[in-house]
Amino acid sequence: MDIDRTTTAMLTGLFDPTNAAAWELFDRRYRSILIGFGRNCGLRENDAAEVAQETIVRFVEEYRAGKYDRTRGRLGAWLVTIARFRMLDQHRRRGVARIERGESAMVDLDDERSVTAAYEAERRQGVLREAIEELRTRSKTDPKTIQAFEMLVYHGLSTQHVATELGMSAHDVYLAKSRIAAKLREIVQRIESEYEEAPGEWDASGHRPSAGLGA
Amino acid sequence: MGCKRASAFRRARRVKDECTETRGFEPSAGCGRFSLDALELAALARHDPQVPVDASVLPHLKECARCQTAVDGFDRDNAFLGEFKGVLIAPTEPDARAVPDAESGPIRGYRLGRELHRGGQGAVYAAEQLATRRACAVKMLLGGRFASERQRVRFEREIEVVARMRHPSVVTLYESGLTREGEPWFAMELVEGARLDDFVRTNALHGRQVALLLQSVTDAIAYAHRRGVIHRDLKPGNILVDVDGTPRVLDFGLARLDDGSNPIAPGAGTTMAGEFLGTFAYAAPEQLSGDPNAIDTRCDLYALGVVFYECIVGRKPFEGARSIAELIAQKTTSIPQRPCALVPALDRDLEVIVMKLLSPEPARRYDTADALSEDLARFLDGRPILARDDSLSYVVRKTLRRHWIASSAAGALLATVLTASVALGFLYAHAERERVRSERTLSTLQNALGSANPETGAGSSSMRIDDFLTIVEQQVRAELVDEPYLLAGVLRTVGLIHLGFDDPNRAREAIEQAYRTQVEGVRLGSVLPQQLAETELALARVCFNTADFVSAERFYRSALVLREESLGRDDVDTVDTLRQLASVLRTTQRLDEAKACLDDALARSQSFPSTATAAITRVGILNGRATLAGARNDFAQARAQYAEALDALLKFVPEDDYRVGRTRYNLARAQVQLGDLDAARENARAAILVLRARKGDEASMTRQAVALMEEIEKLSATDDGR
Repeated sequence: MDIDRTTTAMLTGLFDPTNAAAWELFDRRYRSILIGFGRNCGLRENDAAEVAQETIVRFVEEYRAGKYDRTRGRLGAWLVTIARFRMLDQHRRRGVARIERGESAMVDLDDERSVTAAYEAERRQGVLREAIEELRTRSKTDPKTIQAFEMLVYHGLSTQHVATELGMSAHDVYLAKSRIAAKLREIVQRIESEYEEAPGEWDASGHRPSAGLGA
Repeated sequence: MGCKRASAFRRARRVKDECTETRGFEPSAGCGRFSLDALELAALARHDPQVPVDASVLPHLKECARCQTAVDGFDRDNAFLGEFKGVLIAPTEPDARAVPDAESGPIRGYRLGRELHRGGQGAVYAAEQLATRRACAVKMLLGGRFASERQRVRFEREIEVVARMRHPSVVTLYESGLTREGEPWFAMELVEGARLDDFVRTNALHGRQVALLLQSVTDAIAYAHRRGVIHRDLKPGNILVDVDGTPRVLDFGLARLDDGSNPIAPGAGTTMAGEFLGTFAYAAPEQLSGDPNAIDTRCDLYALGVVFYECIVGRKPFEGARSIAELIAQKTTSIPQRPCALVPALDRDLEVIVMKLLSPEPARRYDTADALSEDLARFLDGRPILARDDSLSYVVRKTLRRHWIASSAAGALLATVLTASVALGFLYAHAERERVRSERTLSTLQNALGSANPETGAGSSSMRIDDFLTIVEQQVRAELVDEPYLLAGVLRTVGLIHLGFDDPNRAREAIEQAYRTQVEGVRLGSVLPQQLAETELALARVCFNTADFVSAERFYRSALVLREESLGRDDVDTVDTLRQLASVLRTTQRLDEAKACLDDALARSQSFPSTATAAITRVGILNGRATLAGARNDFAQARAQYAEALDALLKFVPEDDYRVGRTRYNLARAQVQLGDLDAARENARAAILVLRARKGDEASMTRQAVALMEEIEKLSATDDGR
C-alpha cells in the first residue's frame, strides 16, 4: 500500500499549505463525490459544483484551524455536514434568484437517511472510479482484456458479441471478465482501506462543524 | 467433452501466465459438462426469471460442486462489476450519466438521450421507445433508490394524475413502469416547443394573442379541475408551446389529486400542514400560508394570473422582494401595478381579467377556470366581460384597511419601507440626478409612514401601533445605518407618528436623533436647510406637547429663520411656521407678541397662491386669532373667528377631518362661554365623533371634548333647574 495515499497521510499533508500533492489527492478524491452528492440532492450540475468547491475550501479552512477531530467522526460525515449547510446556504441565496427565474425552489434535504445513503453511494462510486482509472493507467493488464470488460459492463454487450468484435473466443471473454473482476476487487479493497471509510450507517448530523453553519 | 474442458483450462492457464498482475487468479470453469455461457445464464437467472436457462443445468448444479462454484463466481463477479455500470469516467461531464446504452439502460425497451429538465421531483430525458421508434420524454425519480418515501409517493401520484388526462393541451402519458432497479418511471409525449414566456417574447405577441394562448391553457386547467386535479405549479416553464402553436401544460409533479369521484371543491385538501409545494413567484398567497385547507382550484387561477401578467407586461407582478417573507408580504397586502399603466395600449378588459386573477383574496378571483375561460372568450369575441373592475374606492379602502390591521399591516408597510430604503441607499450613492430621484423616493417613503398618522391619515389609535412602529423603526435604523441623512428623514416621520399617537417621549427620542444628524449635515453641506427646518418644527411640536415651551419657541424661531432664508418670507410654509410660533407665545401668555405674529402672518397670507394648501394654512391663522381672542376672554370675537375658520376649512376638507373636529371643539368652548349651550352641544358632539375616530377614546383632545360635553350637559341641567 502506498502510504502517501491513505486518508491519514493526506490529512497530515493538508496541514501544510505548500503540500500540493495532498491537496490534489483530496480534491480529486472528494470533489467528484461531493458533486455527485449534490446532484443526488437535486442540485443542477453547476450548483452542485459550486457547493463542492465551497465545501472543500471550508473543510480545509476548518481542518487547518484544528476543528476536525477524527476521533469524533469520520471524514465523510464531516464533509456531508459542511456540504448540507452549503446547500442550505445556497438555497437561501438562490431562493430569490429562483423566484426571479420562476423555478421550483424545493429540494428535500430533510431525510437524514436518504442524505447519508446518497453520500455513501457517491463515495463508493468515487472508489470505483479511482479503481477503473488505476486499472487503465497503472496496472499492466492487457488492453484487450480491459476492452472486453468495458464492452461487457459499460456497453452491456453480450459475451458472444464481444468475442466476435475482439476476435476472441467466448471462453476467453469470460476469462477476461473474471480476471478484471479479481483485479478490480484487489484495487477497490486497497483504495477502500486508503479512504478508511467503511460503508454503512453513520450519523451525518452528529458532528456539526461550527464554521460550517455559514451566514 | 473432456477435451473441451482440458482446452478451457489450457487457455485459462495461458491467460493467467500472461497476466503478471493476477497472482492467485483461479478461474473456475465448472466440470466441463456445460459451457460457460450456460453457467453464466444460470447465474443471471437467479435474479431474473426471464433469462433463458438450459433446463438440465439447474438439477446438475445441485450435484456438481465445481459447476456450483463457477455459477457462484459468475454471480459474485456480476454483482461486483455491476457496481461499475453507473460509474462515470468523467464524473463532472454534464448529463453523461443520463445516456446509458439502450440494452443496458435503466428502462427496458427505451433508449435514453440527453437530460431535458431536472426539477425538484425528477429528471426528464429525451428518449426513444425502441419498439415503435417513437420519440418521447421519460421522467425518472430524482435520486433513484435514494429518494425519500415522500418523493416516491409524489412521483407515483404524478403518474396517476397524468394518466387521467386526455386533453389537447396536456401532455399524454404513454407508458409507465419500473426500472431495472425497481424505480418508477413514465414515458410521455415529447413536446418540441418553447416555454410560454419565451414564445411570447420571441414572437412579440400582444394582449389579444396572449389571451388566445392562455385560453387554451385555461381550458386544460378547467379540464384538470373537473378531474379532481389541482396543478399547483403552473408557470411559464411548465407550459410549452409546440410547433403547431398549441400550448401544452406539463409537469404535474406537485399536483394534488382528489381521489374521490367528485371534482375538487374549494377548501378540499390533503397536503401536510406547513408544507409549501410550488414556485414562490407564481404561488397564491394562501398557498404560501402553509395551510393545506386554504388550497383549492383558485390557486391555479392565481398562478395563471401571474403568468398572464408576465406575458403581457414583460415582468412579474411582484418583483424586487429580497426574501421570501417580503414576497409573501407583497402578495398578501399589495396590489400590483396595473398592466395598463405599464402597457398603455393594453385593452382595459384584459387588465380587469388579470387583476381579478391576482386578487390576494381567493373569493375575489374567478370561481372556476371555466368562468375565466368564458370571460376570455367574451373578450376575444368583443363582448362585454363578466368580471367587474375593483373600484378605486375599493382598492383604497382595502389598502388602508390592510395597513391598519395591526401585525400583518406592519409587515406590509414594512415591506414598502424596506424596499424604498434599499433603493434610497443605492440611489444616494450615485449621481446628482439620481439623488433627486432618491429624494422623491424618500418623500414617498415618508408619505407611506405618514399615512399612519391619525391626524392626517385614516387610522385610529386603537390599533397596535406601538408594535408596528417599533418594528418599522428597528428595521429602518438597521437598513439605513450607512445612510444617516436618509435615516434622519425617516426618523423624523416616525417621531411625528409617535406624537400623533400621544407618545411624546419616543417621538422626542427619534426626532432628536434626526435633528443632531441634520445639524451636522447642514454644516457639511449634505443636508438642505429646509430639511433641517422641518425637523426643527417636528421637535418644536414635541416640546410644545410636553410643555417645554422654551425649547418649542427656540425651535420654531430657528425653523422660521431657516424657512425665510430658503423658501422666502411669504411662502406658505414659512407663514405657517409664524402661526405656530404664535401658538407658543399665546400659551406662555405673551399675548401681544402672539397677536403681532398672527397679524404678520395674515398680512403675508394676502400674497398666497390660490391653492388648497394655502387656503388651509390661512384657516389655521384664523383659528389662531380666534384662540387668541379666547385667551383675551373676548369670546364673542373668538366665536365669530372660529365659525369663519370652520366654514373656510370645510370648503377643503371633509367633515371627519381631525382639524374640523378640533375647530368645532374650540367653537363649542367659545359658545359655552357665551351661554349658547345648544349650539355648543351640537359642535361638541360632532367634535367628539371626529376625534374619537381620528385619535381614539384615550387621546387628550378627545377626553377634553368629552369633558366639555359633560360640562355642557351639567350647565344645561342647571339652566333647566333654574
